[in-house]
Amino acid sequence: MTIRTRVGFVLLLAAAAAAAGAGAAANGRRFLSDDPLPREPESRDASGARPEDIGLLYELSYNLFVTASKASTNTRAGNVNTIDEVPDSGWYTNRLLPARPALADLVRGPNTGSPPNPERWTIIREKSSGYSPGFTAKDADGQTWFLSFDTPGWEEGATGAMVVASKIFWALGYNQVETFITRVVPSHLVIDPGATVKRPNGKRTPMRQDDVDAVLERCARGADGSYRAAAGRLLSGSVLGPFRYDGTRPDDPNDIVPHQHRRELRALRVFGAWTNLSDLKAGNTLDTLVDAGGRKVVRHYLQDVGSTFGIGAQGPREWDDGFEYFYEGDETLKRLATFGFALSPWQTARYQVYPATGRVEAEAFDPLTWKPHTPTLAYIELQPDDAFWAARRVAAFDDDVVRALVHTGEFSDMRAEAHLAATIIARRDKVVRAYLPAVNPIVNPRLETSGAGAELNFDNAAVWTNAAPPPAGYHAAWFEFDNASGQTRPLGETSGAGLALVAPSALPSSPGAIVQVNVAADASAPHAWQKPVHLFFRRTTGGWTLVGLDRGDR
Amino acid sequence: MSNTSRFVALVMVTLGLALAPAASAQDDTATRAAEIEAAQAQKAASLHPFEPGKAEEILNRVQNTLLSGGIKFHPFFDSAYAGGGFTLGAGYATRVSSYNVLDLRGSYTFSGYTRLEAAFFAPRLFKRRAVLNVVGGWRKATQVGFYGVGNENTSRHDRANYRFEQPYGVATIDIRPTRHLLLLRGGVDVARWNVGAGAGSAPSVDEVYTPDTLAGLGAHTTYVHAEGTVAVDSRPAAGYARRGGYYGVTFHDFHDPDGRYGFRQTDYEAIQHVPILRDTWVLSLHGALQLANAAADQTVPFFMLPSLGGGSSLRGFTSWRFRDMNSLLLQAEWRVLANRFLDMALVYDAGRVAAHRSDLTDAPLKSDYGLGLRFHGPIATPLRVEFVHGNEGLSLVFSSKAAF
Repeated sequence: MTIRTRVGFVLLLAAAAAAAGAGAAANGRRFLSDDPLPREPESRDASGARPEDIGLLYELSYNLFVTASKASTNTRAGNVNTIDEVPDSGWYTNRLLPARPALADLVRGPNTGSPPNPERWTIIREKSSGYSPGFTAKDADGQTWFLSFDTPGWEEGATGAMVVASKIFWALGYNQVETFITRVVPSHLVIDPGATVKRPNGKRTPMRQDDVDAVLERCARGADGSYRAAAGRLLSGSVLGPFRYDGTRPDDPNDIVPHQHRRELRALRVFGAWTNLSDLKAGNTLDTLVDAGGRKVVRHYLQDVGSTFGIGAQGPREWDDGFEYFYEGDETLKRLATFGFALSPWQTARYQVYPATGRVEAEAFDPLTWKPHTPTLAYIELQPDDAFWAARRVAAFDDDVVRALVHTGEFSDMRAEAHLAATIIARRDKVVRAYLPAVNPIVNPRLETSGAGAELNFDNAAVWTNAAPPPAGYHAAWFEFDNASGQTRPLGETSGAGLALVAPSALPSSPGAIVQVNVAADASAPHAWQKPVHLFFRRTTGGWTLVGLDRGDR
Repeated sequence: MSNTSRFVALVMVTLGLALAPAASAQDDTATRAAEIEAAQAQKAASLHPFEPGKAEEILNRVQNTLLSGGIKFHPFFDSAYAGGGFTLGAGYATRVSSYNVLDLRGSYTFSGYTRLEAAFFAPRLFKRRAVLNVVGGWRKATQVGFYGVGNENTSRHDRANYRFEQPYGVATIDIRPTRHLLLLRGGVDVARWNVGAGAGSAPSVDEVYTPDTLAGLGAHTTYVHAEGTVAVDSRPAAGYARRGGYYGVTFHDFHDPDGRYGFRQTDYEAIQHVPILRDTWVLSLHGALQLANAAADQTVPFFMLPSLGGGSSLRGFTSWRFRDMNSLLLQAEWRVLANRFLDMALVYDAGRVAAHRSDLTDAPLKSDYGLGLRFHGPIATPLRVEFVHGNEGLSLVFSSKAAF
């Protein structure tokens, strides 16, 4: 165990007690006055954080040969609040739930500034990350952009995927780079006198026209001689390098939950499956140090979500992309032993291929068996309640939203655009069907007073999304909950056929009192639904407020 | 502070963090935010830069060395001449400009094959359309097999050995005028052949043959060799490919300034890789035809005759097993792609040599079959291991190159 993981483990103990709220709080009370926490505090100055890199060779080797063999520790996510939601933070912002933004806001996504002015591009250095050909350049307005292009034969694919995916992952809640479709006309390209290129001999020498030509030769050129590009705006703040999917930053005081136990990072297994974001390496993430209220804090970005859908940086996805890790011993032995005749699903999946969309399909796709190039520890640690949380967000993308976001890819082939949208919709439905019914799917609980009594109302996320049929009924066990001791006193049991259950008449009425309601579906429902969801409501002057939600034991 | 003591200190700090609020916050004013802030305050007291573990440090160093061009020493497995056996070698490559490389390298085999050379490699000439290779060196092969000329009238038991020592200089340039498909190659080399008595368990050629029965026996001659190739090459990389093909013809002129052993040779070569069911399998086909013609009143010496046998041609037969004026080689491989780095292959080779080209297909071809594994990257095959069976026995092939 390295010092990094020790730190993570120890802080997890603290975080589990202090932040997660799953058990008793540090002062003995399960629910504190500000529960459920809407935002994770970033109370300390992180200006001491220093740039740190992660070697690709190490990361790939470690994840393929060490992480892949690990089993989940069956640990509840460490950064969820008492109602099982992820508070806003430097990592994540709740955008789709509880209330979906206007379609126009989703279409705009992370793009708050104006698009690049392509009248003149001044190249200031080579592209520093990723495999797609590109440059770092200033536009005619002096703004700095990372330009990346399409591969010949796969026009509009990589650039379109980059823009569409940035909108989807922004809506899902992740920090995203502002990304626009733009055009680069070779005659509008100039090389900044200070621009350099790192040569194979390790030295930096001035960039020459031949260096530019070498990049453009690898790019799809339009009929008018220009090049379509995806332009990602330079992030504000100072760059700290990628984040890791395990442990915490030892130089960031606010980073106290090990990353493998952050729900939004675990959830990338679900979101990645949906969008086929198979390149989950740390190199596609970025931490920056930014000003926030007079101190420095770290912002965590999914910087490059371009390896999504059916096209990668170098053309269409490899056939096994999304189906297997880069290396799997069992699959290798199986193929060797059978001379390749033991076929895997990727070998028979059917694709409708367009240059703009590459190889993406929904028929053979299975969200439960989907795999990235290499696993991360956060990927391994995904729990059913994490997946449920993620699937609810996937379900929030209705057909119109998906089509609108895909349209932002500015595909000239309408058939390709329609195909991509239809595929994303079909994959969404599979994700929803796989994960929403897998736990007790009760959501949006409200304890509402009606006349002299009270009624518990709730929704069933799996039924609401047509992922599963409704059960015949629900059953609730009611308790008065002593917040200081954790003791409960039975108040009665009620049941009903619909999404409303009458409360016992003897609910406590004093302000601050807490009732616990354990709600489960009846025996007609799947087994997972018969495990109760534990709901906690605090009595306030205005009625009952949800302060706790727990989908059960690990 | 050691890692262990830092760990213990952190445990204490963190436990303190977990217990501290209990004494002071037994009321309803305690907040979750305050607890998290307290945890952050505790962590703030023990911040430190990230420290990679040993494995990460080592792999990062390897990666940085590879990417920075800082790697200078490298293994070198090219023997002085085919059939030398297991080869050990090393090189020292240094960048003499942004892209150009000077490589000093050498190899040695347990049978005494020795190779020392300096190579200059310029990969970005003519706006990245051309690659220049210039090599100068010296090599020695101590026991090259010679089994006689022809197919049916030779036997593996007829092996005789010869040796040669050779200073040489070679310059070749590969040009892709359109950057794709069309490949033009030109080259010139000067090599001195000093052929003599062979070592090893087989008799020396001079004990079996005389200059009258074997052209070139005891020759000391210098060749000025010019070659030109025209080819269409659609493979992603010659060192490893799953698709694409190579179709080319090469013309050689081996000029002997002394007017004894001059000849011309034409090589026809075709390679095609056919991926099947999404690269589940790849059918790889290779055909090579070599046709030699002696210059007027001159002869082709035995050691320059087209030949078959060895790890890249008729793999079930020893190197240089068959020699004659013309050769035909047909190879097929059924490759199973086990994963992104490992292929398995069923291989089949057939071929023959003949004095006259019309005889190449008049008699049954010599053939072999086998099974192999290849460890590869996207553009190279650093290790190829094959067990190949021919009618003269089983051969084990180790190679650091693709077969074709």
